[in-house]
Parts: sequence; C-alpha cells; structure tokens
Amino acid sequence: MDVWQQFIFLVEGVPLTLSISILSFLVGIAIGLPLAFIRVYEKEISFVVDAYEKIWRGIPEIVLMLLLYFGLGPYFPMPFNNAFFVAAFVLGLRSGANQSQIYRGAIRGVGDEQMIAGTSVGLSKWSAIWHIMVPQVFTFSTPGLGSEYALLIKDSAYVYVIGIFEIMSRSIQLKAMPPGDVITPFILAAIIYIAMTFPIAFSLDRWGNRRKKKIGL
Amino acid sequence: MEAKNVYKAYRIKGDKKEDTKIVQAVKDVSLQIHKGDIKLIFGPSGSGKSTFLRCMAMLDFPDKGEIYLGDQCLTKPGVDLNKARARIGFVFQHIYLFRHLTALGNVELALRQVLKLPKEEARKRALAALAEVKITDCCSKYPSQMSGGQAQRVGIARAIARNPDIILLDEPTSALDPELTGEVIDTLRDLAKEGTTMLIVSHEMPFAKEVAEEMIFYDQGTILETGPPSLFFNAPNTDRAKQFMTRIINRTTR
Repeated sequence: MDVWQQFIFLVEGVPLTLSISILSFLVGIAIGLPLAFIRVYEKEISFVVDAYEKIWRGIPEIVLMLLLYFGLGPYFPMPFNNAFFVAAFVLGLRSGANQSQIYRGAIRGVGDEQMIAGTSVGLSKWSAIWHIMVPQVFTFSTPGLGSEYALLIKDSAYVYVIGIFEIMSRSIQLKAMPPGDVITPFILAAIIYIAMTFPIAFSLDRWGNRRKKKIGL
Repeated sequence: MEAKNVYKAYRIKGDKKEDTKIVQAVKDVSLQIHKGDIKLIFGPSGSGKSTFLRCMAMLDFPDKGEIYLGDQCLTKPGVDLNKARARIGFVFQHIYLFRHLTALGNVELALRQVLKLPKEEARKRALAALAEVKITDCCSKYPSQMSGGQAQRVGIARAIARNPDIILLDEPTSALDPELTGEVIDTLRDLAKEGTTMLIVSHEMPFAKEVAEEMIFYDQGTILETGPPSLFFNAPNTDRAKQFMTRIINRTTR
C-alpha cells in the first residue's frame, strides 16, 4: 500500500473513533452534570460523588475495558459482550467523573446569587438548577469541555485492545503488513487524531468566549 | 404578612478557631404589614436589614421565630416554600437578573415554570409587567447590555409579574449610579400609587417621606423605633435615630 492508500484505510476508522468519543462525551454529560450539582447542593450525599470520582479517575480505562469485555463478557453477554458498548461505557463513566469536576468549578463561577434569584421567583431547587444554572454552567465550562473532548478522542485509541476496528487498530494492522513499515502508519494516525481534536476544542472555546461576552460572565 | 420574634445569627469563621465570631443579624424582630401598606426599613449598613428581609422571603431561614404570609405559617416544617415564594416578590440590591436570558425571558421564566401559564399568556403578562416599569424597549436585551437602572427595573418587573401579595425590596437603588436611581424611584412611586404592598429597605429619604406610611429604624439587629415619616424628619425619640437622621439628611443636602 502506498501512503495515500494507508491514509484512506485509516480515515475509514474515523467514524468509529468519532462515534465512540461523541457517545462517551454525551454519557459523561448525563453523569457529570447531575453529580456536580449533587456535590454542591446536596451536601448530605456529596460523599457518593467523591467516591465515584476517585474510583473512576483512579483506574486506567484499559484495565476496565479488558475486565469488562473479557472478564465479564462471557458471563454477562448482554451487554458486556458488545465491544462498542464496553468502550462507550468505560470512557463515558470516566468522563462523567472528569466532567463532574469541570462543572463543579463552573457552578461556583456562575455564583450562588443566580440560584437565590431563581428560588426568589418561586422555582424549586432543581427547577432553578435546570433553567438557570445549567445553561450558564455550560457556557462557563467550554474551555474545560474542549480539552475533555480532546481527551476522549485520544483515549478512544485504547479500544483497540477489545478489538474495535478504529484508527488505532487499523494503524497496528498496517504495521503488521509487509513490508513492515512501522513509521508511516503511526505518523498518519497522529495527523488524523490531531485533525479531529484541534478544531473541536478550538471552536468550542470560541463559541464559549463569544457567549460569555454576551451574557457578561 | 407578619414576622414574629424572628432571630437569625451568622457564624463568621476566622483563620483560627477562636476567631470565629457569631453575628446576631436579627434579634427578636417582629413586624406586621397589611395589604396596601408601604413600609420602609432604614438604618446603618451591616445592621442586619437585608438578612431580615431575606428571612421574610424565606430565602434565609430564621433560627427562631415565625413568618406568616396571610394566615399560613412559612416557618413550620413541611410547608411548600416554593409556592409561598411565588406569592412574594423580591428585588435584590445587586439585581441578580438571570444573565443568560433577555429582559423578557427573565420576567417570563417564573410565569411559565412556576405559574405554569401557557406560552402566549405568559408573554402577554411579561410584556405588561415590562410596560409597567416602562422598559419595553429593552425586551430583547441581555442583562449585560442594560444600564444598572434598566436592569433594576427589569428586576422589579420580574418581581411584580406574578402579581405577588407583597414585594420586598432590598436597597433597590443603592448599587446604582446616583443618576440612575431616579428612574428606579419613579417606578417604585408608580407602584405605590397603584396600592402595591411593599416593604422596602432604602435610604432614599425624599422618596420615603412621600410614599411610606411607616418608617422603621433598624439598628444592630433590632427595630429601635417605628413611626410615620413626620416623626423621623422632625424629632425621633431615640438618640440613635436622631444621630442617623441628622447624618443622612446632611449627606443628601450637601
């Protein structure tokens, strides 16, 4: 295969890499957002959030993927025999722990006054959180979310260990093919990864800055 | 609305344990305000006026004592405070508009989410409230694009749009440039004319003289003296009030 063919072969893995990272990013939002608000506004059970963060941030995701896919997969084929599910599950839950910390900082940045103003018009605590805090918290956390998304794209490379045929697996396969070129496939993979992380982090940052200016955060 | 023997203390933590101070912001304060009344609380800063007002709205929880809204006791456990707060309008010193929403959005939010009005009805009432504070031209502006006076009028619109039983105003003009206080005072004057029930913390003395039925002098966590404006402007009974009035009147005429 010439360089161009190798490149195309790797690019064919982009949809899988993107769908794993986007899905786990969304799972991360769904977990991180409520956790952050529980941590700040439900003091009695905030230790649960702490424990969750410590555990997920303390174990390498590659260990979890291997454990779930090869360890639990045979016993609980639904859902752990599905490599795609395991990938999004592990990366998503880990991202939830990271995002929880990002949002927590943002909640403090937005300020308690907004909550007080919300309750003063008769909104319940969680309704004020949803209608007043969440939109501002997202704006406030765009820089952190940008780097978290980049992190997920990069970490999605680990899923080659459970046999998902995305960019990383493909470059390893190219390496194994004759004539045994070990440099080109990985350089190409690096270029593709940076092309995926940079624009997204950059545009998220820009969007956030513009919005922040608009709402005076 | 009534406050009965309300008590509230704060613990201010210092660097060391022995530096921790307990500040009694509200000591055994009782106050009654009837429909259509306009009462004005004034007194030195740091005396606990704002804390007391927040307790009235149950934005802060009193340590002791009772708050009544009509004949409902808000300090009893198990009361639906969100419902109660929906009947109380609150205007903040530092305004606290919802930053991510336009003027219209700020006023509409509670109408939609608390009163659960249908979209058109909520819009109609929000626009009416904004018209009442004469600020319809700011409808689609965000708080960061408004002047302080405009923002505070939107704050007032947000408080009155629900037709609350009472409006509590915590120094609505003191965070504004002197030039901008006029427009907010005019708005409050209009509300007063319509017979809105209001409890106002303020040091706008000419305004107080004009609209307040009763003035309340608040110092060091208690009500020192109450009476009609004429009492305070002529000869208050307590020395503290006398002192304070002289100082404040000198300040405004200078």
